[in-house]
Amino acid sequence: MIHALRLLARMYRVQIRSQLQYPLSFIMDLLSSALILGFFFVAFALTLTRFESIGGWTLGEVAFIWGITEFSFGTMDMVFSGFDYDSFGPIIRKGQFDQLLLRPANITLQVLGSRFVIRRLGRMAEGLLIFLFGLSRIQLDWSLLKILYVPLLSISQILFFGSLFIIGATTTFWTMERLEILNIFTYGGAEVMSYPMHIFPRPIRMIFTYLVPSIFLSYFPAVYLLGKPDPLNAPAFISFLAPVIAMLMLWLALRFWRFGIRNYQSSGS
Amino acid sequence: MKSMIHVRDLHKTFRVYRNHKGYLGALRNLFDRKYDLTHAVDGISFDIHPGELVGYIGPNGAGKSTTIKILTGLLVPSAGEVIANGHIPWKERKRYVRDIGAVFGQRTTLWWDLPLTDSLDLLRHIYQIPEDLYQSNFGLFREILALDHFINTPVRALSLGQRMRADLCAAFLHNPSLVFLDEPTIGLDVIAKQRIREFIQYINQERHTTILLTTHDISDIARLCERVMIIDHGRILFNGKLADLLETFGGRRLLNVEFAEEYPSPTLDGADIIYRNGVNIHYSFQRRSVSASALIRRLSENYRIKDLSVEDQPIEDTIREIYENRLLYYDTDDE
Amino acid sequence: MSPFLATIRTSFRRQLTYRAANISGLLTNLMFAFFRASVLIALFNEREAVNGLTVQGAVTYAGLTQTLIGYLSFFHWFDMMQTVYDGQIGADLLRPLNFFTYWLGIDIGRAFGALLIRSLPLFLVFALFYNITLPGSFLQWLAFILSIFFALLISFSWRFMVNLAAFWTPNALGIGRFVFGMSWTFSGFFLPLALFPRWLAQFARLTPFGAGVYIPIEIFLGLITGKELLQGILIQVFWIILLLLLDQWILSRGVRKLVIQGG
Repeated sequence: MIHALRLLARMYRVQIRSQLQYPLSFIMDLLSSALILGFFFVAFALTLTRFESIGGWTLGEVAFIWGITEFSFGTMDMVFSGFDYDSFGPIIRKGQFDQLLLRPANITLQVLGSRFVIRRLGRMAEGLLIFLFGLSRIQLDWSLLKILYVPLLSISQILFFGSLFIIGATTTFWTMERLEILNIFTYGGAEVMSYPMHIFPRPIRMIFTYLVPSIFLSYFPAVYLLGKPDPLNAPAFISFLAPVIAMLMLWLALRFWRFGIRNYQSSGS
Repeated sequence: MKSMIHVRDLHKTFRVYRNHKGYLGALRNLFDRKYDLTHAVDGISFDIHPGELVGYIGPNGAGKSTTIKILTGLLVPSAGEVIANGHIPWKERKRYVRDIGAVFGQRTTLWWDLPLTDSLDLLRHIYQIPEDLYQSNFGLFREILALDHFINTPVRALSLGQRMRADLCAAFLHNPSLVFLDEPTIGLDVIAKQRIREFIQYINQERHTTILLTTHDISDIARLCERVMIIDHGRILFNGKLADLLETFGGRRLLNVEFAEEYPSPTLDGADIIYRNGVNIHYSFQRRSVSASALIRRLSENYRIKDLSVEDQPIEDTIREIYENRLLYYDTDDE
Repeated sequence: MSPFLATIRTSFRRQLTYRAANISGLLTNLMFAFFRASVLIALFNEREAVNGLTVQGAVTYAGLTQTLIGYLSFFHWFDMMQTVYDGQIGADLLRPLNFFTYWLGIDIGRAFGALLIRSLPLFLVFALFYNITLPGSFLQWLAFILSIFFALLISFSWRFMVNLAAFWTPNALGIGRFVFGMSWTFSGFFLPLALFPRWLAQFARLTPFGAGVYIPIEIFLGLITGKELLQGILIQVFWIILLLLLDQWILSRGVRKLVIQGG
């Protein structure tokens, strides 16, 4: 186990080294992703001040949940980018997946270690700044539980988004093409999760509750953390389901992934 | 002697789905999937002993790559038994793969964007090669395969010959007991092929590494392998010494004659004319049926000869004949 | 048929064959349209109108912008710089076809294909779910159609210009991502400029992206009429001419550099 993690760290180090070979490109990418996403938020913030609130949530409160989600998504995108289609697609299409099977190392680990996109640090930083901005504008009664729950929520979100990436990569075994629909739940999900979800019409809420359980990883935890009233009238314990749902999603995703690998080995594409 | 690779009654059947055409067809594909069955490997059995360098040949689509995929654990067979290096390849993947090596001519085993030296270093950690073994092997291979020139180049920038040498180095770095070489000389020039053959021979003789060599280049086989297996349509047609193969199925020789003048029809009893260009005529004959000296005597009795030569039919032609005329199934399990 | 028209036709046909990609792109854009519309509705919160923009207008805006993304290949295009980097450009320059019009033709064909198979159905489906506003008069429709064609030309010229960086630097991909991202944010494509603070909206309108993409939307929503509408179209024409000229000039410099240095 230790050996496996050290190997992963080594693979990440190799990735980082090769990306830093072009420092100019790296800096530009870093800045651009941070600036673009940041600008998106700034524009929204400016607009929101004009309207005072959205769905009963103030700018600070929206920034709070927006920031955490951005940070988590950025972190996930950095760590799990081996499963992103841009990286995994060519591995399958060029037949390089066989090489992974021929090495005495865990397959999932090898895919994780195959890519580590450090320019996502831009998005992570942007998320962190927005979160801190939100914190500065709200009055929260902090409890120890709340303080612990924030990082726990972020980790849960990272695993949740990561599961979606893993599922997307698994479908590549069969389709060879990118499953663009998944963008609705990854990038779209991140966007939806950044707002108080009760502003969305019922059908959209249903999709993000029962099809992909995004609502448990942003809205309900936020309702608890910010002490907001909940127009959806859900029982209180739902706010704490985030880690459970995240683990469940990860477990399902990995089962599906293993199924995909087994299937690859018996059909021999 | 215990086998290094033991294969018994191996089968692999693929479903080839038939696609309906058009828009409605795309919809039908979801519900009504018709398929044909392809028997890529149709009941093969063989044993390979430790330290052997065995050739594995057959025409395209014969089932070679399917066999190799099963033997390397990439593919699960439909039926049959495989024990390689004491493991069932697809079942004990990680443990099995630790002690084998593979080179695929068509694609690299290394990381595309990394400099070669980084790739090899990563492999060292993946295979957990002890430091001193790594250094000695790396140093040795570096010299024999002349890697210094491009040791810092990313694999994607290497020429085919360079990449092949790099892959060979990677495959043997951890001292595997068993190595699979799939088309290791494909697309290479004569000098490069030679260098690679020498390396393979060296490793096999010095380290007694068992090697299974799949190739289309018959000269590879001729130069490296004592034993050869021929597969076609999923079945093993021949499994034995190359010399025996040529003895039994080869035996065609060529008599190339340059006549002093152009004869209208210089037929020769016991031989067939296979090539004709003015005064140059090539005859083909069976060694078993008639001797070269007899034919030369007959020719010189009737015609004036300027120059002639005798050569064995190229092995390629022998092999091709075996492919084309489905010959008897040879079932030699072991010597 | 002139080679230019032939290029358009081939590209158009090819775009139509990307069925799966177009449909999934359509669905993705549609979902995002729903998301944005919901956010805007929640923002307005019973207000009738803000800065001349009604709720209905805002919702229409959400659908319209997502509709046009596929058509404009919205500020995400690296095809030309790829050919510089993989050497394909060598073969392209040898062909008896104007290099610029070749790429222009490909883009126009692609855009019209995307318009037909992706944009139109998207907007129609969106209209089923939401109450949208439509241009009132025939003249407005005409102006709209003209302005989205101009928007395509502006979008293409801008994308092409960014790709030209490849002649001078190996980092064009990073530069492209950066510039495209900036263009995207200033185009007013995710929040109506009408909702921005004045200074920001003014600034955005001065840029080619703001002018290129936002003006058609304003026409469609009826936010600019009469004299202002005409002004809008003229601004687009101005940008088209400027960008085209810049493209030609930079391209000729770039090709000369390529030929001399033999990259």
